[in-house]
Amino acid sequence: MSSLKPKEIDFNEQWSIVLGTVRSVISMGRFGQTDRAIWQERFFDIYYLCVATPDSHAERLYEETKKFLEDHCKSMKKDIAESDQNMLSIYVKYWTEYKTGSDWLNTLYAYLNTHYVKKRQANDMDTNYQPFECNNDTIDPPLVEIGEMALDCWTKIIIEPLKDRLVKLLLEQIHLDRICECVNQTTIKGVIMSFVDVCQHRKLNILELYEKSFESPLLQATGEYYREEGNRCLAKLDCIQYMRKILLLIDDEEFRSRKFLNPTSYSKVYNECLQRLVCDHFDTFKSECNELIIKEDLDALRNMYKLLKPTHIGINYMVEKLQDNIARIGHEKVQSLKGENLSTLFVETLLELHTKYMNVIKETYANDPEFVSSLDKACATIVNMKYGNRLSAKAPELLAHYCDSLLRKSSKAATDSEIEEKLLSSITIFKYLDDKDYFQRFYQKMLARRLINQQSISIDAEEFMVTKLKQICGYEFTGKLARMFQDIKVSDDLNIKFLEYVRSELSSSSSSQNQTMTNLLGLDFNIYVLQQNSWPVAQTITNTFILPHLLEKPLHMFEAFYGKKYSGRKLCWMYNLSNAEIRMTHLDRSYFVTMGTYQMAVLLQFNDHQQLTLTEIEEAIKINIKELEKQVLSLIDAKFLIGNTSELTMNSVISINFDYKSKRTKFKIPLISQKEANHDSESSQKAIEEDRKFYLQAVIVRIMKARKVLKHNSLIEEVITQSKQRFLPSIHIIKKCIEILIDKQYLERRTNDEYSYIA
Amino acid sequence: MSTQSTNNNTNNPTSDVVTSSVPFTLKRWNLVGIWSWDVAHDVCAICRTALSESCLRCQAASNLQECIIVWGTCNHSFHNCCMSQWVKQRAQCPLCQTDWVINRIGQ
Ligand SMILES: [Zn+2]
Ligand SMILES: [Zn+2]
Ligand SMILES: [Zn+2]
Repeated sequence: MSSLKPKEIDFNEQWSIVLGTVRSVISMGRFGQTDRAIWQERFFDIYYLCVATPDSHAERLYEETKKFLEDHCKSMKKDIAESDQNMLSIYVKYWTEYKTGSDWLNTLYAYLNTHYVKKRQANDMDTNYQPFECNNDTIDPPLVEIGEMALDCWTKIIIEPLKDRLVKLLLEQIHLDRICECVNQTTIKGVIMSFVDVCQHRKLNILELYEKSFESPLLQATGEYYREEGNRCLAKLDCIQYMRKILLLIDDEEFRSRKFLNPTSYSKVYNECLQRLVCDHFDTFKSECNELIIKEDLDALRNMYKLLKPTHIGINYMVEKLQDNIARIGHEKVQSLKGENLSTLFVETLLELHTKYMNVIKETYANDPEFVSSLDKACATIVNMKYGNRLSAKAPELLAHYCDSLLRKSSKAATDSEIEEKLLSSITIFKYLDDKDYFQRFYQKMLARRLINQQSISIDAEEFMVTKLKQICGYEFTGKLARMFQDIKVSDDLNIKFLEYVRSELSSSSSSQNQTMTNLLGLDFNIYVLQQNSWPVAQTITNTFILPHLLEKPLHMFEAFYGKKYSGRKLCWMYNLSNAEIRMTHLDRSYFVTMGTYQMAVLLQFNDHQQLTLTEIEEAIKINIKELEKQVLSLIDAKFLIGNTSELTMNSVISINFDYKSKRTKFKIPLISQKEANHDSESSQKAIEEDRKFYLQAVIVRIMKARKVLKHNSLIEEVITQSKQRFLPSIHIIKKCIEILIDKQYLERRTNDEYSYIA
Repeated sequence: MSTQSTNNNTNNPTSDVVTSSVPFTLKRWNLVGIWSWDVAHDVCAICRTALSESCLRCQAASNLQECIIVWGTCNHSFHNCCMSQWVKQRAQCPLCQTDWVINRIGQ
């Protein structure tokens, strides 16, 4: 050991020494540990054999070692094969010992491995030798390191001839484990894992031996076992019990996999179980599913979901059934709604349904996105259900009403955050609307009323809602709403400027600086000037109304003021939307009443006369007789005037009620024009149709401007994509709009199915 | 409308409030008015879209605020966007063929 210099060595002599150590290393368990000094010595013996002069003994050493290992394996094989009862445990005992020994041996032969085996392998590579695909017997098997060689011997000499018997025993043991007999877990796992570990050096198909020899028979046996087990269980259990039972079986089997198998088998065994226990009995599941949903047996449904989700069959059927049921329940609930507060009932019913099923999906279906989207689809069908023959679903209107009731000053005091929370939940329903433009129309109408009558609960809450709508549908959708707020702000400004104007017109003295409108004009005069196409108000074409005298001057002053400020604009006064506050001073005490302009005009007539006929009033204020009757009736209803309401004719005498009494001194009576007739929704339907056409034209122009040339179908598709956030346009209406644009020379038809943009 | 008796009612407003010699006294009036462009035809002859709306190109560009209206000395009116394109080719009113001179711009 003093020198590493190569020297002449007698192989036989040296080998017999080495062999003794090799033997004790490979069967370390049986012959005890090799002591360290001897180990060191053998390590160098192997070195000297390899570097021996004149010729290396490496090749002989390799061959002799191989021969020894083969003999060793053969003798072990005999022992194992002849052990009958204990075959598995003897196998494991030998294997564990041999495996450890082979690792040590590989270390002991480090020099041979590095300087002989690896070099030869490298040479073989150079000469295009392909070690992995070579099955040719005439060529020597490729050289491998000693450790690998040892394992190959084990495979070839022990596993190959014994594997059928081994596997049969393994499957028996696993079966015993399934029926809860006691088995030796360590032994079973040891044998099974030997099929994997023995191939650990391979570069390809490491699992081939394991899979072919063991796993595949295992899966087959597993399938057969659970086929029988499934049938047996189903014969005595109902579906709910069956699902509970097989979940336990599957859990057990998963646990068993972890006890015995290579991790690559876990999912295969699991799938085999599902196939036999779940998929084979899918019909049973299917026929029970609907019933469970109706009964709301969430435990059973949760089990069914757990069982079906991982199979190839999947949960489509369950999803479909849930969707049908939610839609059905929703339809029933909505259809049975009646009463005064329909809009609130409608929205709250839907929200309740939505919340309930969100929870069900969370608790029962693990928040599975497929179920979430089935809830969405169900809600959409409920919300967009068309009642009777009417084209428009009721939902947009009801939802807008609901928002209106939240945003209108009312007796029900709610905090800002409560209101915002409720508005937010109304957005949940809004998202389901197909015809969002219908909602917008109704919403706009009600917003107009809130703004004009100063009934908004707060501008913050109003803007909160509009912001939410904008987030969903975009700027254009809420553009008009935003401009309505803008008009109100502009009007506030305008009123301040108008007051300054009145001051400068009516008094020359500097004392007028602090004069109020009431000081100057005799009443508090406030004007909203709104832009026509932002507000959902129809102009009354023939307006013969004669203003009360005291209002003429203020009005003319304003018109003069406005004409100086803006050019190119004309104003149209919407008396039916305007309101007035009247102080009644002829009674037990003063009352302040807010009412419509026409109602105010009628009452003012009675300042000069204690009683008047309808004809006389008509001559004085010149409004349509039908309209006038309504106004007068409303004042008689309010008990400000006295008259025979059942038979109102042109000659009916109406007089002041001097005995009027009320607990409240400041209140309002309903403006007659606020009560909307039925034909109103029809006319708004037409207006919406027009809006849609206009909107679609703008969309088409936008698309064509960007794309220049487009095929018909692509254009249609693109238009639908861009407008479905607002409504679902029919192909028919899109085609119509394309025609209009061709007519207006925005587009031209290039070929039969292609359009181009005209700049 | 008659304006003969206007003065009687508004000349002395403060006393009216104090004495309340009549049963009904008007305290406040919230008047609502709608403004629109003062045009003979509501449709722009160039883009054939309502003058109360933005022109179609402005709609397509989601440019809703900028689209204003111009009147010529002939008193015909158009979207300013549409007219400024038009006069690049022909400096005449598309409706009456007189030379186009801007009379006023809507504001
Ligand atoms: Zn135009
Ligand atoms: Zn424009
Ligand atoms: Zn002209």
